Amino acid sequence: MNDVPIVIGSATLLLAAGMWLMLPRGAAAGRSFGTLLVAISLGLFASQVPRLGNWVNDSVFLILAAVAVLSAVATVTFRNPVYSAIWFGLSLLGTAGLFLFQGAQFLGVATIVVYAGAILVTFLFVLMLAQPEGQAFYDRLSWGARLSALTGALVVGVLTLTVVSVFQGPAVEDRPQSPFSKVALDDGILADQHMANLGAQLFSKNLVAVEVAGTLLLVALVGTVAIVAQIHKPAGGRERSHG
Amino acid sequence: MAPLIVPLVKIGLLVFALLTAAAYLVLLERWIAAWVQDRKGPNRVGIPLTSIKLFGLGQPLADGLKFIFKEEYTPAHVDKALYTLAPITILAAALAIFAVIPIGSVLPLDLPGTDGPIKLVVAPGVDVGMIYVFALSSIAVYGVILGGWASNNKYSFLGGLRSSAQLIAYEIPLGLGILGVVISTGSLRLENIIFEQAQSGVWNSFTQPLGLVVFVVASFAEAARLPFDLPECEQELIGGYHTEYSGMRLLLFLIAEFLHMVVAAFLIVILFFGGWHFWGMPVPADDIISWSVAGLRILVLIAKVLAVILFFMLIRWSWPRFRFDQLMNLAWKVMLPLGLVNLMAVAAVVEYQHAREIEDLSTNAWLPVGIGWGVAIVAWIVAALFAPLHTDNRPRLDVLQPPAFEPNSLRSK
Repeated sequence: MNDVPIVIGSATLLLAAGMWLMLPRGAAAGRSFGTLLVAISLGLFASQVPRLGNWVNDSVFLILAAVAVLSAVATVTFRNPVYSAIWFGLSLLGTAGLFLFQGAQFLGVATIVVYAGAILVTFLFVLMLAQPEGQAFYDRLSWGARLSALTGALVVGVLTLTVVSVFQGPAVEDRPQSPFSKVALDDGILADQHMANLGAQLFSKNLVAVEVAGTLLLVALVGTVAIVAQIHKPAGGRERSHG
Repeated sequence: MAPLIVPLVKIGLLVFALLTAAAYLVLLERWIAAWVQDRKGPNRVGIPLTSIKLFGLGQPLADGLKFIFKEEYTPAHVDKALYTLAPITILAAALAIFAVIPIGSVLPLDLPGTDGPIKLVVAPGVDVGMIYVFALSSIAVYGVILGGWASNNKYSFLGGLRSSAQLIAYEIPLGLGILGVVISTGSLRLENIIFEQAQSGVWNSFTQPLGLVVFVVASFAEAARLPFDLPECEQELIGGYHTEYSGMRLLLFLIAEFLHMVVAAFLIVILFFGGWHFWGMPVPADDIISWSVAGLRILVLIAKVLAVILFFMLIRWSWPRFRFDQLMNLAWKVMLPLGLVNLMAVAAVVEYQHAREIEDLSTNAWLPVGIGWGVAIVAWIVAALFAPLHTDNRPRLDVLQPPAFEPNSLRSK
């Protein structure tokens, strides 16, 4: 089992190199080679993820994960912002599918409602108004491509390593304090009253966090309105004589 | 394999029924349009190769064949990938919504390998049913936006922009209308929402008339039906976001549009008009239901949905299209406050019932019904006084001040 860190480490490096080659750097050279590197490294990552023991579960999980990760890569590497937004939406759908697959129904649909339904539509709205074809060359370049590719790959590598190491040793279902234990799952997200349980948790244990988040959003909204109101202050245009 | 076969059969039947229903709803819409406009409408196409006319019931078949045999033309200036993706997205989202919508309650069919009666919903037991509907209807926006953008045509693009603004704006009153029902029921499952109304015999439209108004108006806007069809108004934008589409791709857009109307009708019936419930029908538990009751429930639900669809189609010929500023005013200045007022009233009533431990709504219905109607009337009057709907479509001279003509200004630039 000692080769796990080595495999994941090399996969991380491959991912960083491939991502760097794929990012829009102003030159198209090496993009297909970069795609190949990313594909190999994702295959290496997938080979290290513990299996669920049932080919249906395994294939559903791997397909959803592949959709989420590959479209995330496509999001940052496509040069047309509208396409990036669409790939981001597909990545969100993959993530929502993973949530649903785990039984977290609310998180799954909330991801779609909040991100795909509201935020991304607003992105698209702005992008279309901005007319990406007319933008300058430097707007379509990726800035700091090397560092960002490395950081992204490192995050993926460290997370995968953590998950793999968690699943080694005794089965997680049998550990008493684990959030994946049978009792915790049946009383929690897999319960029949999924939403009622979640609401009770949010508005008792995490009430302060909910209120703070709500206040933050309200402040942001008020700030936006204040900025808009400043822009629309009459700038003496009415006084111009129509003589 | 039985746990897999039952859902697959359900999905197959549902998709078949929906596509057929969409085809015949188009015929119904054309009949109603003809009736309203004092024409005869489509009444010729019957059984092919004979002279039997059958009131024109063969028309959807002929329409479908026409769409299939039309040239599917892709203009050279479009963005090919997104141009193809847009109609697929919108139809897939519209069909996927039906996964949680109950078509009746259960069938007392005892198949080997299944537990208990067959539930007449593709995905039973989804605890977030209502949010799922909400999520997928927000995915459907993508079809419209992408279709408008990928067509690379000014009219399509304007249609896409208008529709994204309109759908984002009206999602909020839609959600507020849903929230009122969800709070009074205490569940997001559509099956539970129906069952709650069936048990008490008090439909949500009686206790929340204001919520009903807000929800119906918002769902008209979400389905982009007249008077809210600004994304594709023929007089201004040719065809809006599907101007550049032809053949089967256009058909996908049109079917999706009709399915949105069907979804809206189902939701209005389920949330506010008791679903499969009608007074005098027995309300047994799911596992002792008889075939007659199960069948009757399906019939009642479908009849109610058809009635709502008829209402949609009559409205189409009764109300002129809004101007865009009227549309936005209606969303933000009228529907949003009305939705909030309804939500507060419902929350207050529910809180009072909790405090007094009133469980059985059927004998204590006067309080929520009275409060609901009182709040609705007061809020309606306030809205009518302070945010009147301007239906005068002439240019507003107080806003639109044409700059005075200055001969020198043209030359100097």
